[in-house]
Formats: sequence, C-alpha cells, structure tokens
Amino acid sequence: MRISSLPKDVVAEDSLQGIPRQQTNPTRWQGEQWHDFVQALQDAGIAIRDKHFQTGVYITDAGGLAHGLPHGVVVATSAEHIANLMQLAQQFEVPVTTRGGGLTTEGESVAFGGVLLDMTGMSRVLSIDKDALIVRTQAGIFWHHLAETLRRDGLDYLSAPLNLTSSVGGTLGVGGIDVNSSKHGCSADQVLSLQVVTPTGEIVECSDAENSALFERVILGYGQFGIITEATLKIRPYTPLRMHYFYYSSLRPCVEDLLMLDQSQSCDYTGMLTMMDSAITLLVAFDSEERETAFMAYYQERLRGYGELGFALRLAANFSWRPWKWKEALFLLQRKRELFPDLEPAHHIQDGQMYDRAAVFSKAVWKHWGDRQMVIPDLATNADKIVAVVERGNAVCRKYFPYYTLYCVGIRLRDEHQSHYELSSIPSDAKGFAYGCEFEPMYHGQVYSRDSLQSFKNEIYDVGVDLETSYYRFGGMMKGYIRQALGDDVVEKHLKLKQAADPAMILNRDVIF
Amino acid sequence: MRQVDVVIVGASLAASAAAKRLVDAGLETVILEKQKLPRHKICSGILSPRGHRFLIENFGALPRKVLHEPTSCKGVTFHFPSMLSMSMDFFGGPTPHLHRKYADHWAIEQSHAEVMDDTSFLSQQQDEHGVLVTARKKGGEAFTLKAKYLIGADGPVSPVLRSLYPTYHKDIPMFFVGQKFHEIIDCPLDEGYFHFWFHPDLGHYTWSHARDGRQIVGVGYKVGQKFHERHAYVAKYFEEKHGVKLKPADADHEGCSENFGPSLINRYVFGKGRVLITGQATGFLNMIGEGMSCALHSGAIAGESIVDGMLHNQAVQPIYRQNIASEVRRTTDQWNPLKIAFAKPHEADFPKALMAMPLKDRLILLKDIWHFVKLYKEFKWGRQLATLSVQRLLRGDYSQNNWL
Repeated sequence: MRISSLPKDVVAEDSLQGIPRQQTNPTRWQGEQWHDFVQALQDAGIAIRDKHFQTGVYITDAGGLAHGLPHGVVVATSAEHIANLMQLAQQFEVPVTTRGGGLTTEGESVAFGGVLLDMTGMSRVLSIDKDALIVRTQAGIFWHHLAETLRRDGLDYLSAPLNLTSSVGGTLGVGGIDVNSSKHGCSADQVLSLQVVTPTGEIVECSDAENSALFERVILGYGQFGIITEATLKIRPYTPLRMHYFYYSSLRPCVEDLLMLDQSQSCDYTGMLTMMDSAITLLVAFDSEERETAFMAYYQERLRGYGELGFALRLAANFSWRPWKWKEALFLLQRKRELFPDLEPAHHIQDGQMYDRAAVFSKAVWKHWGDRQMVIPDLATNADKIVAVVERGNAVCRKYFPYYTLYCVGIRLRDEHQSHYELSSIPSDAKGFAYGCEFEPMYHGQVYSRDSLQSFKNEIYDVGVDLETSYYRFGGMMKGYIRQALGDDVVEKHLKLKQAADPAMILNRDVIF
Repeated sequence: MRQVDVVIVGASLAASAAAKRLVDAGLETVILEKQKLPRHKICSGILSPRGHRFLIENFGALPRKVLHEPTSCKGVTFHFPSMLSMSMDFFGGPTPHLHRKYADHWAIEQSHAEVMDDTSFLSQQQDEHGVLVTARKKGGEAFTLKAKYLIGADGPVSPVLRSLYPTYHKDIPMFFVGQKFHEIIDCPLDEGYFHFWFHPDLGHYTWSHARDGRQIVGVGYKVGQKFHERHAYVAKYFEEKHGVKLKPADADHEGCSENFGPSLINRYVFGKGRVLITGQATGFLNMIGEGMSCALHSGAIAGESIVDGMLHNQAVQPIYRQNIASEVRRTTDQWNPLKIAFAKPHEADFPKALMAMPLKDRLILLKDIWHFVKLYKEFKWGRQLATLSVQRLLRGDYSQNNWL
C-alpha cells in the first residue's frame, strides 16, 4: 500500500533508481500577501528590512549552491518579538526561514522569498552555573563566542562543530559533530532544555521532563517544529589537548583503526582526515596525561599507522619508482608546509599541549578547507558500512576533483536520547556508534559551476542510496533522499505532526518535507 | 522604457532553467517567445536521466500531461547494416518521453518568470551598462526593453546569436532532421527503446520510436537534400530489413534545422559582453542527439553566472565561460573516442553492451561504425577530434580558445 503523500512518478516506477525525488530547489514564494503583512508588522512594531542591499547579503548560505532572495529580513531581538512575528506570519501565510551563522550547505537557511529571520540578534550568554556545570544562552550566539565566555571561568562546552561561526540554535536543530563526538555524542546531545517559539507563536520551555514531545521534535528536527531561542547546555571543565597523529597510505586500515579506537573508548578525540587518498591522517587526542599514557602503552602499537618520519620515508620510496606522480608529491609537500604549522601554532602550544582547540581548529578549517563554497556532501552510516562508504565516496571525489579531503568521525549514540533521533540523520540501524564521512573538494584555484558541484553531490548521495545509509546534512537540496533513508512511514508521521503544529506550513518550509 | 534585470529570448527548457535561477535570486526576468504558448516543438522528446533529475529537482514532479505515450524510455537500441543490434539501458532507470509543447510550458510556468509570448525578438544593442532589446508583439508596434543582461535561449538558428555573429550559421554545417508519424500495422521494434541506425546509406541521423500509438520514422541529413525522398527510402528499409509494417505517413510531418558539429570539435558560442547564448544555440548536443539535458544545465549555468556577476560586481562573460567549462567537458567527452573507450561519458553503458557480444560480432559492429563515421568525412572533424582527445588527456580540460 502506498503511504507516501508525494505524487506518483508518472514516468515509470523505477525511474532514477526508484528514489521518490522531490523538488529540491523550491519554487520562490510569489509574495501575494506581502504588503498587507508588512503593514501588520509595522503596526506591531516589528522592524523589517526589505531594501535589496539589506536582503541581498542573505542570498545564499555557506554551501553557495542554493540562491534565494527573501522579501524581507527581521533581526530577532527576543522570544516575544519572534512570537509576534510568527503569529502574523501564520495569519498571512508568509514563509519564515530562520538563519543563524548561515553555515548550512543545502540551502536550509536560504529564503526562497518570504521572511528571513536572522537569529544573530539574540547572542548573549544568560547565566553560567559553575557548580552544576550548566550554561543558559541565547540561541543566536556563535560557538566561538560561547567558548570565549566559558573560558573566562575555566569551562568548555562538550562538543561543537569545527566551523565555530555556526549558531548554537542552528547546530542543535541538526546535530553537530566534533572530533570528540565519539565520546560525547553529537552537539545536540549536550542540551538539557530549550526555550522554543512554536510555529504558531507560543513561547514554550521544553526538556525531556517538561513538554517532552516538543523537545524531541525540536532537537535534531531541522527547524520544523519551532525556533530555538534559548538553550541550557551541559558543560565541563576546560582541558588542554594532547595531540597525536598517525599516518596511513590507504583508507581501509585507517577507518578500521578508527573504529577500533572508538570501540575501546581509549581516546578522548578521534578523527580521520585525508590529505590525499594515499596520505591519510588519524588524529587522536587526550584530555589528561593518564589517558594519554594508558593509550600509548597499549593501543599505539596496535595501530597500523606510521609516525611522521616513517611515513615520509615510505612516501619518498613510493614516489621514487613512480616519478610521473611528482605533482602529487609536490602537493603533499606544499600541504605539509602550509597546514602543519597552523594545526600546531606555537602561541597555542605549551608543554606539548594545545591550548584552545576551538580557536586552532576553527581557524585551520576555514583557512585550509573552507573555500568559496563549502561543498561537503556526506554520508552517515552504522559501523559496518563505513569502510565501503568511505571507499566508494572517495572514488566519486577522484572522478570530479584532483584534490579533496575526507573527514570521518564516530558519533556515540546515547541510549537515553533514542527518542530525539527519530527524524534525524542518525542512521536507524546504527547501534552504539554512528559514523559520518564528509567529502570535500579543494578547488585549487579552479572554478566550478554550481551546477557541476551539485552533480558531484548527487553522485555522493547516490552512493548512500545504494548502500542504504543516512546523511548528516538532510535538508533543502537533498530532501529527495530523506524518504529513502528513513522510510515513508517515519516521514509521513512527522509530516502530519508538522501540519498540526504549523497549519500554514510556513516555518522553514522546503527543508525536509 | 521599461527596465528589467534580464531578458531571455525563447521559452524552451534552457530558458526555464535560466529563469528559475534568476527569479529565485529576486531578479526581474522577462521571457520573449515568438509563438503563442503553449507552442509546438519538434523533438523526439526522449530525455536523459540527468535531464530528468534536473526537472524534478528544480520544477517538481512531472505532471502526466507533459508526457507522451509510452511515458518512459528504457534506453537506446543501435542497429547496424550487418543486421546486428545492441540495446543499452539508461543508468538509473527509464527516462521521460516529454511532450515538448506541454513540458516546456510547464517548466516556464514553474520558473515564475514573466512571459511575453507571441512576441519576436528583433534586435539588441549593448553598452557597458546594459542591453537595449527591441521586440514586437504580433500585429503590434516594436517596443524596447532595457535590460542588464540578455540571454539567447532560442535554439539552433538563434536570432540572438545572429545579432552578434551575422554569418555564424553560414560558416558551420547545418543539418536537417525531420520526422513523420505512421499508424502501425506491425512493428517488431521494442517500444520501450529509442532506436538508432548506424547506416551510411540511410543518412547522418536515422531513428525510430513509438509515440501515442504511432511510429516515428525520423531522418537527419546535411541541409540541401529532399526530406520526402529520404524518408521514403528509410521507411522502405525498415520494412524490408526489420519487418516494420506501417501505414503511409500522416499529414503532420515536421522538420527543423540542427547545428550538430560544435559539440564534437569544441566550437561553442557563448555570447559577447552582456549577451549570453545558452542551450542548443551554443552547439550543445549529446551523442544520441539529445539536447534537452544540456539545455537545462547550460541554461541554469547562464542564470547562475548572471547572479554571480551581479553579486560580485564582475563582468559576466568570463564568469559564464568558467562556469560552463564543466558542461563543455561533459558534452564533448561524449564524442571523444578516448573517453568513449576508457571512461563512461554516456548515460548508458556502451562498452559493456559491446563486450557482451561475441568477439566476431564485435569486430563486424566496429567495422559498421567505421563505415558510418566515414559519412562525416567531408566535415573534416576527425583530426580536430583527435587533437581534442589528446588535449583532454594531457591538460584535463578542453581549450577555451575556440569558443566564440
């Protein structure tokens, strides 16, 4: 029996591999009620910016593939302010798209007409409880700003995305992964409670104990069920980092070692980062000397990776009998020269420990990986499929780009948070750990059209269809895949919930439904 | 005088894709179409999987009315003079059989651009600030629109292209393709496939497939020969060799000019200054003669280039040429013998189908293809194609020096 509310594919059932694809570049809202709506906003004292030079800066997101111009922009000032806006938007059926740092890559924070709600107007830390290790913050704050505030008291968040100009609210809405996600889970797992403005304009406090149904939907909910205005997060004492790198010449052993380390929980931070598919780095790091010593004594020799010198010699030997690969050798040398000093900058290192990984990593990420457009399609899987995913995704990258990076981390799943994960990127067949791998081209001065980058992303996502994985970046331009990964039942169930919570279907529409 | 951001000439798939990108970015976009919409369009209507995907991603699920019967096509079947045949399924499943009259109109409507139909493009004049576009509504006075950019998405004999390069169409070989529709008495050709003949006697481009209960007999050849004679010859061949029994052709036969060479030899035209050429007008054509997927993608690239140019306050032509390079690679790769042999530039697996045949048949078939290719000898494309293949191998790209 057909459960899907999508129109049947009239071409043929098995067209495009049978994936029920949906329009991913949404049709622009045509603005029929716009003038009445603006008048009502003005009467309610809500300022709207609708000049082209004001709306034009929001035309795209960090992904740079989706471009859409909002009719007007509202900068959030308070929950009450947003609640007023949402009530009027429901009444006039005007779409509202929320945006924090705009670091989405699938057009989730791009408004194809309607109102763009800029959350960065709400960016204050409200209170810090040093004893209970809890922070309450407005949700439009960027992670680096939160980190700076916490550092003053010797504190740290549990986990945040490496691109620290993403907002707290936006991250909690999608997940967020870090190199310590194998220990702490995704960024959304550190939330204790939220203040949310619902699509109909009510202000509700929610947590696992209070209004839990709303909490479960808002966490990892792609902004469908409410706008996060404030968040209470679990925090921890700040610790400097003890870093080690191991080098691999092929993907499989590196990913297998990563899986083994995550299972053992012997490291506080783990992640795989490739320079090329023949030069792969496994990063491990520790919060304390005891953990580091214990790891070095038992696990170091069980890893198949090399130290820096050993790997350099191996590479040199490799290139010496394949001289036509000199370009690759040059690239690696150049990469080493540029990258390594930035990953271990002298002014952040003391006694071999890195002080403030947040600052170091986020700067390095933007400098060496962030380019004109953050094109980072990804696949999220259980532990069994990650090796195949990495290898096949790598083959797609190789077809499109001379140079690219793979970034792969484990995410510890919290049994007590199972109910949060239902309509999320967490693969439903993952037990204990989920794995995410991002595939990021390095443009190297070459210009690619949006259209060709989209083809690349589609091809990565099709690997996911084939291997029945999930995707970390559900949303916007890849919503056609969500039914494939989660099944029609789950999507239709949530669509019904969405229709009940947001009768005019105006809040962040076109993102997943 | 009315001022707009962009004028697009033509209401085709390329135009709809460009319009989509422009309208999304909030640009005021006007489409000029010389016929009344929805308008008839001569086309086989078999879209590639890539084009199908583009339509869904940008315009949503296809409505039934934009499709012919059979609604889909599984792949292509090649026929050879030696009477060998080989079938290849499209990667990713069957593709739509578009009814261009309604498909194009649907896509244009979904783009939400403003349409002025029944309106012919007359001329353009550009300066550093914009383009003055003169047009005329049928039976009305000529009028002028002042636009920041003009896009020519007006097909192989593009009037916009002619306004930039008046002699262009005389300087390249032009072909004629025509199709006639027959009631079927008995047709053993599988209606799930698009059929193509590698036969030098039949013509440069010979095809057949089912549509709405009739069979299409299509012929393509260099401009200057007689359509009805060529068609009669092909229909007779189909009957004698393949047992295709058809009633005499119905009265609604049709034909049009095609520019078929530029994709082979990388001599595309992308415009000048603030005037961009896109779609089939540039010369984009896939190997089975499918131009729709190239049209959609190149149209989108024209649109995004204008958005980028305005966003970064830069000249649009260099941006367009950088962006379009990927589409050039994709299309010209399909004609590149090295790519055909060692990569998979097409959307169906030719090498696999070939290797599935017995060795003896393979040799016969390759000989047949060679005889067919010799038909194109007079255009002197061989050496250029060989040079391009080596160029692609060594520098990973095709040169932009030949582009207009």
